[in-house]
Amino acid sequence: MIADWSHEIVLAATILSWFIIAAGLAQTAIYLLQLVVAGYALSLRPPVARSALLWHRYGDVAPPIALLVPAYNEALNVVDSVHSMLALEYPNFEVIVINDGSKDDTLQRLIEAFRLVKFHRPYEETLAHMPIRGLYSSPMTERLFVVDKENGGKADAQNAGINVCRAPLFCVIDGDSILEPDALMRAAQPFIDDPERTIAVGGTIRIANGSRIEAGRVREIHLPRRVLPLLQVVEYLRAFLMARLAWSRINTLMLVSGAFGMFRRAEVVAVGGFTKGSMGEDLDLVIKLHRYMRDEKRTYRIQFIPEPVCWTEAPETLSVLARQRSRWQRGALECFFRYRAMLFNPRYGRVGFLGFGHIFIVDVLGPVAEVLGYFLIPAFWLLGILSAEYLLAFTSLIFTYGVCVSVCSLVLEEAELQRFPRARDLAVLTAVAVIENFGYRQLNNFWRVKGWWQFLRGHQGWGEMPRTGLGAAKK
Amino acid sequence: MWLIWDLSILLSAISLVIMLFLIARRVLQERRARVAADQRRRLLTALIAFTESRDREALKAAVLSVPAGVAINAGFEFISLLRGEEYDDVLAAFNECGLPALIGRQLEKGNGAERIHAAEMLSALRSENAVASLLSALDRDRSREVRIAAAIALCDLGSLPPLGIALRKVGVAGQRSRRLIELFRRFPPARFEELRDHAARTDVVPFIRAAAIDALARVAGFHFADFFASAADDQSPEVAAAALRALGLTGHAEAPAILAGAMKNDDWDVRAAAADSAGRLGLPELAAPLSRLMDDEVWTVRYAAANALRSFGQPGERLLRDIAASEVSRSQRTASLILAEGPAA
Repeated sequence: MIADWSHEIVLAATILSWFIIAAGLAQTAIYLLQLVVAGYALSLRPPVARSALLWHRYGDVAPPIALLVPAYNEALNVVDSVHSMLALEYPNFEVIVINDGSKDDTLQRLIEAFRLVKFHRPYEETLAHMPIRGLYSSPMTERLFVVDKENGGKADAQNAGINVCRAPLFCVIDGDSILEPDALMRAAQPFIDDPERTIAVGGTIRIANGSRIEAGRVREIHLPRRVLPLLQVVEYLRAFLMARLAWSRINTLMLVSGAFGMFRRAEVVAVGGFTKGSMGEDLDLVIKLHRYMRDEKRTYRIQFIPEPVCWTEAPETLSVLARQRSRWQRGALECFFRYRAMLFNPRYGRVGFLGFGHIFIVDVLGPVAEVLGYFLIPAFWLLGILSAEYLLAFTSLIFTYGVCVSVCSLVLEEAELQRFPRARDLAVLTAVAVIENFGYRQLNNFWRVKGWWQFLRGHQGWGEMPRTGLGAAKK
Repeated sequence: MWLIWDLSILLSAISLVIMLFLIARRVLQERRARVAADQRRRLLTALIAFTESRDREALKAAVLSVPAGVAINAGFEFISLLRGEEYDDVLAAFNECGLPALIGRQLEKGNGAERIHAAEMLSALRSENAVASLLSALDRDRSREVRIAAAIALCDLGSLPPLGIALRKVGVAGQRSRRLIELFRRFPPARFEELRDHAARTDVVPFIRAAAIDALARVAGFHFADFFASAADDQSPEVAAAALRALGLTGHAEAPAILAGAMKNDDWDVRAAAADSAGRLGLPELAAPLSRLMDDEVWTVRYAAANALRSFGQPGERLLRDIAASEVSRSQRTASLILAEGPAA
């Protein structure tokens, strides 16, 4: 039957097939490498010390930290979030909420809840950002400052916060997220143990949907009841406990999540802060830090540590999730092409080869190759170019490999964090690790290809990300 | 072809076995945790009862009735809440039950977190063999965090080896840790001179020297003011800045001249430390160099200089107002900002 087709079509089909297979194999190799390195990294990490011991051990030498909380239309969550941040267990910190020109009553709610008054605080406009309309302090606590500024986006708000803060370290956190009480102390640990080299630390982001939340604290951890957030739980486990732990071990961590990351202020100011208008401002900043430190020939560490946990609300509807994933994809592409000179550039060492290579294979080529595969492989089978036996065998291998990777990330979770309190939760997550391969994974890749398309068309919007509020998270 | 199918089946089997193992392990852990929580509750109840009855035999029976790990953790948490005679009594009971020996074993054979915790517990329990166990950990442990914890514990027990040796055992990588600041702050007064000598050595890591100077300034005060004055022009900006901060705490007859000189240093950290110390010591004779620093290219230095002027009281405020009313410049802007700091009118 193949002989019936013209030589060119077969050649094109062969090239495409090899592209898809090569991209798939490269991704497989990366995941395998990440699993091995993450497992090794965890085996070297001592089990987690109790919070009380950390305080006793590090309390006196813990450096001051400014917690920067950009808030845009966060009226629903912001007061609870700020209460929980003010109650964090850390000896020396301030909370700076940056109201980024919210259209709702975010600022008003803060003013009422904390009896805010206008305040003058000298600061230097080292980083550019939209004008600040006013600074507020609270007579209820010396730790809280609110910056009210004109809307300029998340990166712009974070830059304003960096300008206003005085601490040598700052921690960025989303306004709708909840930090565990000891998260700052745990995240600060690398800055205490190795203060000269550590310039950024990322912690774990977990999904709070379904958990019982009271007064800005996660009181009882439960798995989400809805399918979409449940699927994202397994995804987050893979992303944080496998990928970031592995890359952190070899100092090629390319992403410290904007939802929870701690940075040394001096280096961030030196690279010009967060890039305004970037879709992936967190990825962009970390790449800039790598580039700057390598250009300056300074030794440095950008670390991920699993123990500090930040809880966040995951999208519960397909439309919101689709927007989020397309935006993440655009962010990755934007950073990749902005800093493309670093790709496989010996000057940037393993960051150029492994870190950027990972972005290239997983984020740039990955979704395109996989979606092409969804269409072309069955088409080749229908056209008789591919045998049915091979189609089934390869499909089965792809799915079982995907399940195995997810299961191994659950092993990492069990070995390190054990945040899911019941054995039953593990059984549920195992089932989810299987189910996600049938539909969710494909959907995700379509959203990412959509992100590619939007990137090519120069689409810049963030899209609405409606929140139900973590305090009202579904049980 | 069959290889691909075999590989798929193998991956599925591995996944299934792993998950079954994890679930079974978790069920067992849950059971064990429930039992341990119950044992811990019983031991804490016995400890509370002991503080009233002082019945040492009953306490020993309670301690020996629970696994060593539970006794060690609950016991250490409890004694950290006690003081004076009660503390000594509970400590004696723990020693009679052999807890320090168990902790010593934990210091040798536990995981990293347990070994650090064991070092801390040994210093709190002050048993006979604690020093030997801690010295062994300082000497041989493969983790620098454990070695630092052992050094701190030894310092608390008054048995830290000479500082040079202790730091060498901590290792080069460990000599960047802020935990060493904690170690230096715990130094006994009898060994301050040793700390001073170490801070004076130019072959030592600047971070260590600066940490030693900071600790001396906090705990030893004016006694080392001459040393701080001499270290203020050290080649290392980190050390010089620490010495200037120390002078700001202790004061010195030559402080005005030293601080004025440091305000011209090439390193902004040194200039900022000098400005800060001038404000802390209240030296109005430095108003002129501080006014010049308000035009510094680094905001931190300008802010420190302006704050120092403000701390001089009315004369400083007057000077700041004059600068704020002058032509637009960096100094003028800094002065305006500093004068405006505080609740809005």
